[in-house]
Amino acid sequence: MANVIIHRVAEFLKNFPPFSFLSPEDLEAVASKVEIKYFEKGEKLFLQGEPAKPHFFVLREGAIELSENKSGGPEIKEYCEQGDVFGVLALLGKRPYVLNAIFSEDSLVYFIPVEVFELILEHNSKVALYFAAGFASGQVVFKQDLSEGQKARGLLRGETLDDSLLIFSDPESIKVSENVLCCKGNTSIQKAAQLMTQADVSSIVVVDSNNFPLGILTDKDFRTRIVSEALSLEHPVSEVMTSNLIVKRRSASFSELYLSMIKNRLHHLILTEDGTDQSPVVGILSDHDVLLSMGNSPAVLIHALLNTFDLNEIREIRDRAEQMLRYYLENEVAMDFVASVMTEINDVIISQATQLAIRKHSKDYPELEQVKFCFLALGSEGREEQLLRTDQDNALVYEDVSEDLKTSASEYFLKIGSEIVEVLIHSGFSPCPGEIMASNPKWVQPLAVWKEYFTDWIVKPTEQAILNSSIFFDFRPVAGSKILAESLTDHIYDEVGKKHFFLNFLAKNAYMNPAPLGFFKGFMVEKSGEHSDHFDIKARAMLPLTDLARLLTLSHGLVRINNTFKRFEKLAELEPNYSELFLQAGKAYEILMRMRALEGLQHKNNGRFIDPEKLGKLQKQLLKNTFSPISELQEIVKVRFQLDYFAK
Amino acid sequence: MSWWPFNSSKPVQKDFVKEYLKNSQKEIPGIRLFDQLSFVVLDTETTGLNPETDHVLSFGAVKINSQSIQVASAVEWYLSSSKKGKEAIQIHELIGNKMVLSLADFSSQFLQYIGNNIIVGHHVGFDLEMLKKIVKPFGLTRFPNPCIDTMNLAIRLDYGLRADRNLIPLKNYSLDALCDRYGIKTEDRHTAGGDAFLTANLLLKLLKAAEKKGINNWSLLNK
Repeated sequence: MANVIIHRVAEFLKNFPPFSFLSPEDLEAVASKVEIKYFEKGEKLFLQGEPAKPHFFVLREGAIELSENKSGGPEIKEYCEQGDVFGVLALLGKRPYVLNAIFSEDSLVYFIPVEVFELILEHNSKVALYFAAGFASGQVVFKQDLSEGQKARGLLRGETLDDSLLIFSDPESIKVSENVLCCKGNTSIQKAAQLMTQADVSSIVVVDSNNFPLGILTDKDFRTRIVSEALSLEHPVSEVMTSNLIVKRRSASFSELYLSMIKNRLHHLILTEDGTDQSPVVGILSDHDVLLSMGNSPAVLIHALLNTFDLNEIREIRDRAEQMLRYYLENEVAMDFVASVMTEINDVIISQATQLAIRKHSKDYPELEQVKFCFLALGSEGREEQLLRTDQDNALVYEDVSEDLKTSASEYFLKIGSEIVEVLIHSGFSPCPGEIMASNPKWVQPLAVWKEYFTDWIVKPTEQAILNSSIFFDFRPVAGSKILAESLTDHIYDEVGKKHFFLNFLAKNAYMNPAPLGFFKGFMVEKSGEHSDHFDIKARAMLPLTDLARLLTLSHGLVRINNTFKRFEKLAELEPNYSELFLQAGKAYEILMRMRALEGLQHKNNGRFIDPEKLGKLQKQLLKNTFSPISELQEIVKVRFQLDYFAK
Repeated sequence: MSWWPFNSSKPVQKDFVKEYLKNSQKEIPGIRLFDQLSFVVLDTETTGLNPETDHVLSFGAVKINSQSIQVASAVEWYLSSSKKGKEAIQIHELIGNKMVLSLADFSSQFLQYIGNNIIVGHHVGFDLEMLKKIVKPFGLTRFPNPCIDTMNLAIRLDYGLRADRNLIPLKNYSLDALCDRYGIKTEDRHTAGGDAFLTANLLLKLLKAAEKKGINNWSLLNK
């Protein structure tokens, strides 16, 4: 039994990742090897360029500054507080320290010997990922790969929330294929392919005479290992199969199987009698099986939506979609997939609503039957980023009509717009407090008026105009005639091309929202009002990124890419110098979207205001990491659009 | 005079005692800096405060090298006791389930553990008095190790070496009071290991405070 001193150390460590992922035995092993040292303010722990020590560090109490030597003197990169882990380069790469660590308060530090931890890294993949993802402080933040961070967070979350696989109506009823297609190692590649085709399956398991698994060959292997290598089809499968199998027991719980597939990036998981490769194959689980087991798959939901005009049913399906969303978010499903699925669902609701509206009102206006119109989604839905049913922003544009039809057209299309907005409200989308909706006569206009609106905003970039542009410039045609929207888009880019200084105004606006850096110990929170002490993730982190992405794509004359992270991806292609930064910004945006949506789902609100106190250490770190691309981009914008010389 | 059969106060030295005494002869050079000093910070839990009639129930200790607490060296030992029973349990809630050492085993392990390290404790004189009672039957009458009392050190840092004890509010120098003042969370009080750990934390901070006052080597610390 651990004595009280080791126990005391372990009790502290276990509150903080990565120690929180350790088993009690490992935790005790680590705690029993800790060394504790006390430092006074101003003392140095290590300096940039010094060789790595055989320890990494956990701050028990006090505070430490990590700084980088720059030509103008040291620049503070990070501020560590209680529970922060730093100096892990020693653990990972055994490289010299890249930062200076200087105590800014009297501090007590736990020294963790690297050798103890190396053993743990070997068998605990969560801990390994934690470090690989750079959650431990003291890495130059913007250089780290945020996608690793996402991956890590998914896995770290996965096991604690095993029950969160709520999307599976009954996890135990997952259908595992028990008729596993098998062959011997000396079977030719050609024969194996024939067997797979006959059985209509995507994999074949290679077994020995006892039916013990030796390897697996999948559809993908045919492409990557056989065709691309121009290998003769007479070769035996044993030469091309994947050996080093990961196998599981048939009786293992679904979540264990599923997580094992996710962790190891397996498309097929082989199940054996006793869970080792020294027992007969009894089943195989493919990601396709998993997909089929999902009651709430996007395809099912969209199909259901397309077949109903019943408002209550639409509402109910949208609720179910939210359940699916939650599952996707918690399991770190790729954000572009999640966003497109949710956008698709929202779009289907809008198009159903449009049909409903036309059906209801068109008979009263037979003269307008041939007049085209288009329902425009604006703001986040326009950018295909609306995961939660936050405020709707939308508008309606219709074809220019002759003088005699003007009155009836404006009346009719306002009715159509209002009807759609009502359906959306009924489906759970809150109305826009600023009345930017297709139920507001101001935003239901013929094409010519819309063109005037945009020209006006571009030529006279008042504060209100800039604000409007941030909502309206991201419009996207959802229902009706897309030609109208295209024509409007062309008009905008023509105008922007002519009035280049408009971009400087946009740039100024994008620069005005400072990145929420500058706080160290806490988050920059709202000072007053209903949400005081909460962090406004939308205004402080997401909005700057959307503004920056819009501005930069506009400046490149890029059209029809609305999505913020797709905009960053495109920018990365266009500006290879900054491709790293743009990709990081895109990732950061995805992470923010995910965080906000999860926050919203959890608290049944729009997820905009986050209580930093309630964030875990890991989430805080992840959130902090998303901020660094913002200030980097703002600096680029500042120089590129000469904001220093630009009239204030 | 160990051959004198009537002198029962001087028992024969056991081998482990001889070994210990042999190793603890070396003196620590006065100019040795704190980083090179090795300390054993210890505490005992006893049945009471009278060295004549009370005895040790448990012993906890941890070592400090290079001014850092070596958690790996932490020990907590329980002693078999003739007085074990309700009384002790009520006072300190000691559960009789832990590994309990015979006095002979304890003495051997204890002496091997402290070796020639500097012994540190809060009110360490009392602990050493109690421990001396245990090792006496095995032929050891005094501990040759140098000692640092964290209470005295704290007082010295505040008032200097030649302070008049009668004018000093000693209640400000209890382990609790000092931990409070130096920002050390007091948990696990009244377990020997817990108190030893607190005292070790206190020593780290006192050593830093001493260095600031120019007390930075063994001869200066040992005044």
